[in-house]
Amino acid sequence: MLLRSTATLAVTLGALLCVTFALSALSPVDPAVKLVGEHASAASYEQARHHLGLDLGWPRRLERYAVGVLHGDFGVSQSTGAPVAEDLRRVFPATLELATLAMAASTVLGLALALVSAARPGGATDSLLRVLSLAGNSLPIFWLGLLALYLFYARLQWVGGPGRLDDAYEYTIDMPSGLVLVDAWRSGLQGAFASAVSHLVLPVLLLAAYAVGNIARLTRAALLAEAGKEYVLLARATGAGVWNVLLRHMLPATASLVLTTLALTYTNLLQGAVLVETVFARPGIGRYLTTALFAADTPAILGSTLLIGACFVLINSATDLVVRLLDPRT
Amino acid sequence: MAGWCLGTPCLGGTPQVLVVAQSLDDIVSLDPAEGYELSSMQAFTSLYQRLVQPDPDQPEDIGRTGLATRWTAEPGSLEFELRPDAVFANGHPVRPEDVIWSLSRAVKLNLSPAFILNGLGWTAATVGEHLQKIDEHHVRVTWSAPVGPSFALNVLGATVASIIDEREAESHAKGGDLGNRWLHDHSAGSGPFRIRRYIPHEALVLDANPLSPGDVPKLKTIVFRSVPDAATRELLVRVGDADIARDLGPDQYAGLRDRPGLQLRQFPSAAVHYLMFNTVNAAVPQLSNPALWEAARWLIDYRGIAHQLLRDQFQVHQAFLATGFPGALDDTPYRLDIVRARSILHAAGLDHGLTMTLDVFNQAPFTEIAQSLQATFAAAGIRLEVQPALTGEVYTRVRSHSVQAVWLYWIPDYFDAHSSASAFALNLNDGTTSIAERAGWQIPQLSALTLAAVREQDAGRRLELYRRIQTEVQRSSPFVIALQERSQLVMRANVRGYRQGLNADMVYYDQVTK
Repeated sequence: MLLRSTATLAVTLGALLCVTFALSALSPVDPAVKLVGEHASAASYEQARHHLGLDLGWPRRLERYAVGVLHGDFGVSQSTGAPVAEDLRRVFPATLELATLAMAASTVLGLALALVSAARPGGATDSLLRVLSLAGNSLPIFWLGLLALYLFYARLQWVGGPGRLDDAYEYTIDMPSGLVLVDAWRSGLQGAFASAVSHLVLPVLLLAAYAVGNIARLTRAALLAEAGKEYVLLARATGAGVWNVLLRHMLPATASLVLTTLALTYTNLLQGAVLVETVFARPGIGRYLTTALFAADTPAILGSTLLIGACFVLINSATDLVVRLLDPRT
Repeated sequence: MAGWCLGTPCLGGTPQVLVVAQSLDDIVSLDPAEGYELSSMQAFTSLYQRLVQPDPDQPEDIGRTGLATRWTAEPGSLEFELRPDAVFANGHPVRPEDVIWSLSRAVKLNLSPAFILNGLGWTAATVGEHLQKIDEHHVRVTWSAPVGPSFALNVLGATVASIIDEREAESHAKGGDLGNRWLHDHSAGSGPFRIRRYIPHEALVLDANPLSPGDVPKLKTIVFRSVPDAATRELLVRVGDADIARDLGPDQYAGLRDRPGLQLRQFPSAAVHYLMFNTVNAAVPQLSNPALWEAARWLIDYRGIAHQLLRDQFQVHQAFLATGFPGALDDTPYRLDIVRARSILHAAGLDHGLTMTLDVFNQAPFTEIAQSLQATFAAAGIRLEVQPALTGEVYTRVRSHSVQAVWLYWIPDYFDAHSSASAFALNLNDGTTSIAERAGWQIPQLSALTLAAVREQDAGRRLELYRRIQTEVQRSSPFVIALQERSQLVMRANVRGYRQGLNADMVYYDQVTK
């Protein structure tokens, strides 16, 4: 099974590499103009095309790129001037941290809401869940982010504002891990960790709000689908309480579906945090990719797409594995 | 409201630290031989000095704030005397060797801004012959291009000619890159500040250089925070966690106008916006008809766009040298006059329904300007099909001559009229790129005049020639130059001493206090 998963992973990543490469090759933006500038002479322009390998046929260029990727070389970003691998090492942990914390918050809240709703379908909590789910999916996150910043940072001053830390720490603390909580803690500077937490609260809650509705709604539906089954009726007949049945019988029975929902939500959070990263001026792979797209920075686009794709494939493969272990019938 | 961050004061509230909120996403490199973007150009003036550079208060005076105290000019050469007390931020004295190395290096690396120095006829193979150490304080610069010394001085005042500490940069060089990779995020200059830290797309932190030329900066540190969203930048300056916010939208400026604790500042910019017709586009042969060019001059709502649509972020300007530039032509003979445009089109037989595409960058204010053009051109029977696209995509299409009409903007590369004249009024058909070449505009006589202007040794006569060239381009050309940008920024009320000039690099933080 492990062998099959590894083979699937390799094939998927290979296909992803080919598709992203093809899309960049078809891009109407000339990377050589970007490198030498609009005023460059024809000779400099040709030199840049040669330097970028654009004078080679596409099979040779794809081969060069694939060999580079296998050696961990994604090329040099045209918008930061740094190797893409170095940029990704800097921005990806920031997204990982934000998405993981948002995921944890939305999982706890989403499952709690789903359980309460399933315990009393049609009740007040159930109605609240529907509103939350609708709001989470329909309110534009950048608008909500600005509103939250205005209220909780500018007016009430309850939390830190844009950025990852207060300025007093942001550019003095080294970030070897790229995870602001870890690096602020390690720095030993008084107040640095509290500052990191205060700057994380709003973006984490916003991202979580976006995800919580989906988790709660799908889990609730799965729980209600189990409600009429014989094992539930039997448990109730033996005198087990509503919560006992929900937690000990129904929730484990829906574990596969819940896990799959959580995995999909997590992958969405990993690549979909771009607006939160932009409004809160935080680094992250979503913002990096968007900036690269606007700058037509092909190496950065290819590198980030491959990394996000790899995350998708890895998380889905890991979820499949866990689901199979939990329920060998699947 | 004072800066506040969970009990610890934010730097926006600290007297010796200035926090500037702007987007830094455009920075490719902080090496002056490579960086050619707005944010990096703004930083270079704080980090490096050139042999000559415009005085912040009197830009035409280029001899007061540069590394050279004086120079003597002869046809084809300049001899500079370096300031005897000039030192780099690390304490190394500035030597003629540093001057020679820095200028040769920029030509040899041949990155985006190298073409500016190529204007002196320097190539990677020949630049060494043109730079000569005379003694410990003198260096001679010569050139092979047929240009006068005033042009050469202005070229040497461009950021690409910044003087770098050779010993420092070479000690970090790898694989023969002349320190390029290291200088991406470090500095080795003699300007009033030096880089403490640069994190791409996040922040640029500068510390004051205690060995700074002239007065030591009043600020200890400047933090440029990369805040990509304009609404967030506005929030930061309103709260007081940023002292300066750049690049807010017209509505944001209008909303902050009377807000206590803030000051709105406006500086003219050298950027001019123009409409270009591609005269060699076979699909629409009318694009090469001078009658269309003339009619188009009466079909732009100059005042409406500048003052109503874009809320004074622009001013009406109809010549390629921006107001404030030496030699600029400030006449604005054209206004929106649809009746007149229709009669010009009718007389030329172009009134039977003309359709063309209009390429624009897919961002503000370009899309708004395009909509205005679409409405006014439609009133004269010309249908514009607006094609918004990424900046790089538009430039690629312009380069390959595949656009029909396109709205672009132009910022001079250095503080000399030739930079703009060689773009709009020079097409030698020899592979040299220019805006005129992109438009396919054949102008042998005007090109000769442009070359004569750059060769002219007398500075006064030179400027007179540039006025003639501008008048000609304004009267009849495939370019309708319409607007000049105004750079607007919002500052906290206690910020004093900020200065900004016309060109992108003329941003001065050394006298700022708060």
